[in-house]
Amino acid sequence: MNETLKTNNIGRITQVIGSTFDAEFSNENLPAIYNAVKIDSEKNGIIIHLTGEVQQHLGGGRVRCVALGSTDGLVRGMDCLDTGAPVSVPVGNETLGRVFNLLGEPIDKKGPVEAKEYRPIHQDAPMVSDLSTNTEIFETGIKVIDLLTPFVRGGKAGLFGGAGLGKTVILQELIARIASAHGGASVFAGVGERTREGNDLWREMKEAKIGNTGRSVIDQTTMVFGQMNEPPGARLRVALSALTMAEYFRDNLGTDVLLFIDNIFRFSQAGSEVSALLGRMPSAVGYQPTLASEMGALQERIASTSRGAITSVQAVYVPADDPTDPAPATAFGQLDAFVYLERAISEKGIYPAVDPLASSSRVLDPQYVGERHYNCARTVQQTLQRYRELQDIIAILGVDELSEEDKLVVHRARRMERFLSQPFLVAEVFLGKPGQITPLADTIRSFEEISAGKWDHLPEQAFMYVGSVEQAAEQAEKMEAEAKMK
Amino acid sequence: MAKARALDKRRKSIKNIRKITRTMELVSTAQFRRAMDRAVAADSYTKRMVHLVSDLAKTGLDVSHPLLEERSEPKNATMLVLTANRGMCGGYNSSILRLALQRYQELNDLIPNINIDVSGKRGISYMKYRKIDIDQSFDQFDHKPAFDEINEMAQRYLDAYLAGEIDRLEVAYCKFISMSKQYPVVETLLPMTEMKSDADDDSSKPGGEKTNVEYEFLPSPQSILEEVVPNAFKVKLFKCFLDAAVSEQIARMIAMKSATENADSMITTLTSTYNRARQSQITNEMLEVISGANALN
Repeated sequence: MNETLKTNNIGRITQVIGSTFDAEFSNENLPAIYNAVKIDSEKNGIIIHLTGEVQQHLGGGRVRCVALGSTDGLVRGMDCLDTGAPVSVPVGNETLGRVFNLLGEPIDKKGPVEAKEYRPIHQDAPMVSDLSTNTEIFETGIKVIDLLTPFVRGGKAGLFGGAGLGKTVILQELIARIASAHGGASVFAGVGERTREGNDLWREMKEAKIGNTGRSVIDQTTMVFGQMNEPPGARLRVALSALTMAEYFRDNLGTDVLLFIDNIFRFSQAGSEVSALLGRMPSAVGYQPTLASEMGALQERIASTSRGAITSVQAVYVPADDPTDPAPATAFGQLDAFVYLERAISEKGIYPAVDPLASSSRVLDPQYVGERHYNCARTVQQTLQRYRELQDIIAILGVDELSEEDKLVVHRARRMERFLSQPFLVAEVFLGKPGQITPLADTIRSFEEISAGKWDHLPEQAFMYVGSVEQAAEQAEKMEAEAKMK
Repeated sequence: MAKARALDKRRKSIKNIRKITRTMELVSTAQFRRAMDRAVAADSYTKRMVHLVSDLAKTGLDVSHPLLEERSEPKNATMLVLTANRGMCGGYNSSILRLALQRYQELNDLIPNINIDVSGKRGISYMKYRKIDIDQSFDQFDHKPAFDEINEMAQRYLDAYLAGEIDRLEVAYCKFISMSKQYPVVETLLPMTEMKSDADDDSSKPGGEKTNVEYEFLPSPQSILEEVVPNAFKVKLFKCFLDAAVSEQIARMIAMKSATENADSMITTLTSTYNRARQSQITNEMLEVISGANALN
C-alpha cells in the first residue's frame, strides 16, 4: 500500500492516551475524518508500524486518532503520514481462501495477495430503492431453528447468549451446514473472540469439502480476524473490513454471499473502550453515546440488494445473561431472526440451548411459512409456555397436584423440550453420534405428532439428540434392549 | 428495576403459597390425630369380628352362609374406589386411582360387567376425564366418616349381593398400617372369602391368640352366622373408610410439609437473587452518575 500513497502530508504525534493518539498537521492539510494515518518509525531500537484512524478534529491543526494496532513504544514527536484515504482492503476473488487482519494484510503466510482492487472500509449503506424485497426461507436442517426461528435468505440472524452457552458452536455448525452446501462465497469475521477458535475454524475449513466438488470450503471463504488480543481499534474496525469484502462480492460479482460474524458484541465493546478515550461522555451502563448509530451503520450495510444477497449470521454475546443490556438490545432490533440461548436449558444438557419462547423470527408468519408450519410452531410454543407457567407449582406442590389436562401438557412439553435438542456435525466427537440434518417437512411432522400425542408412550430420554421422531422411537427400543441386557 | 421488581413479585406470591401450605399442614396434623384415634379404636373391634367369623367357619359345623361362598361364575361386579374430596395430598389420589384402574382392567377379563362406584370428588373428576362411567358417586365422606351413612351403604351392597345383582364387591382404598406406612390396596369384601383366609393367617402366627375355642351355639349356629356375618362386612367396610381418612390426612401432612420446605428454599434463592439484582442496579446507577460527572470535568 505504501507505494500507492496519494499524499505526502506528514504530521507529528503530540499526545498518546492508551489506544488513541493526537497528531498535529498543518492547518491547510488536515487529514479528513476516517482517513488512515501511518506511523513507520524507530525509537530506542523499537520499531513501530502503526495505522490509526482519524476520529476527531480538535482544532489548532490537531486530530485525534484511534490506533488500529498496539501503541506500545509510541512516543510524542514521531512522524505520521496521512494516507489520504480510509483504510482500504483487497477485494475480489483473489481474497478467497485467504486470512486477513483488519488492514487487509494476509496473515496466513501464503505470500502477498494479488488483488486487482482495494476498497475503503467505510461505505454507505445501499439505497432504499436498491434493497431486495423478496422473502425466502433459508433451511438449516436444525430443528429448533427451522421450526421456531426460520432464517431468511438474504436476511440477518442473531445468536444471542451468555458466556459458554454454545454461540460459537452453533455458528460453526451453521458454517458446516450452509457453507458446505453453498455455491457462492462466504466471509467470516472473527471479532474479539478467542484466537484459538479462529485457528480451529481455519483448519476445519481446509479439511471440509464443498458437496462433491472436491474443493475445500476454505477455497470459497475469506476470513478476517481481529481477535481478543488486538487493541480496541482493531476490534472496532475488523467487522467493517470483512463486510467490505462481502459487499464487493454482492455488488460487483452479483453472487449470494454468506457473512458470519463472531462476535458482534465485541464490536460494541471495542467502541465503548475507545469512546471514553476520545472524550465522549458515557451513556447507559457505561456504553458509548453513539452505540446505536455505530451498530446501525454496520448493520444497515449488511443488506440484500437487487444485485446480490448477503445472508448473515451473527453471534451476539449477552453480558451477565441480561438481554436488556444496551449492546445486545441494540443489535436485536436489526435482525430478522433472533435465536436466544438460555442458561437454564443448557443446564439441562439440552443443546443447542435455544430458548423456544424468547426466540423469534420475522418470517414466522403464515404469509411466509404457511399455515401448517405456523400452527405447529405456535402449538409447540403454547405447550412449552404452559409448562413454564406450571413450573413453580410443580416445584412447590409436586406434579400430582396438577389437573389431568395440565399433567398431559407437562408430559408432552417435557418431550418437546428434549426433542428440540439435536446432534451437531461439529459435535460428533463429543456426542459419539453422527450429526443430523433434519428436513423441515420432517421437523414439522414430528412436532405435530408429538403435540397430537402419538408418541406419548416413549420415555423422555428417547427424545434426546435425535433427528426425526422415528429416530426417537428407535432410540427407545435400543434403550429398552439395553435395560433388558442388564 | 424491571428484573428486581419481577423477582420481588414472584417472591411475594411464593410467600403466599407458603402460608397456605403451612396452614394446611397444621390443619391436617390436627385432623390426622382425630382420624387416627378413630381408626385405632375401630381396629381391635374389626379384628375381633373377623376372628369370630373365621372361628365360626372353622368350627367344622355343617353351616354355611351365602356371603362366605364364592360364586362360580360371577357376572356382575362392583368396584368401590375411595379417594379424597380435596387435592393437596401428594400422590394419594393418583396412586389409588392407578391401582384401581389396573385392577379394573384385570377384572374386565374375568367378569363381563363391572360397575364403578367412587367416593371423593377427585376420583369422580378423574373418571370423568378418563371417560369411565360411574354408577354411584359419593362426596359426603370427609375426614370423619359416620357409621350410620356407611351402614346404609353397606346394607345396599348386601341386599344387592344377596339378590344376585352383584357377585363381587371390591374396594380400592389406602390401607393404614402405621404413621409411616400406608399403601393403596384393592380388597375383595364380598364374598368374604378373603376375610376367612386373613383370619387363618392370624391364627397360624406363633404366640397368636388361642383360637381353638369350643363354642356353644344358642339357639343355633345358623342364626348366629346370620347375625354376625353381615355385621362383619359392615364393620370391615367402615374400617376401609376410616383407613382412607387417616391415610389421606397423613399424605396431606407430608405433602404440605415438603411443599412448605420447597417454598422456603425457593424464597431463599429468590431473596438472594433479588438482593443481588437490586445491589447491581444501585452499583450501576452510581457508576453512571460518577463516570458522567468525571467525563464532564
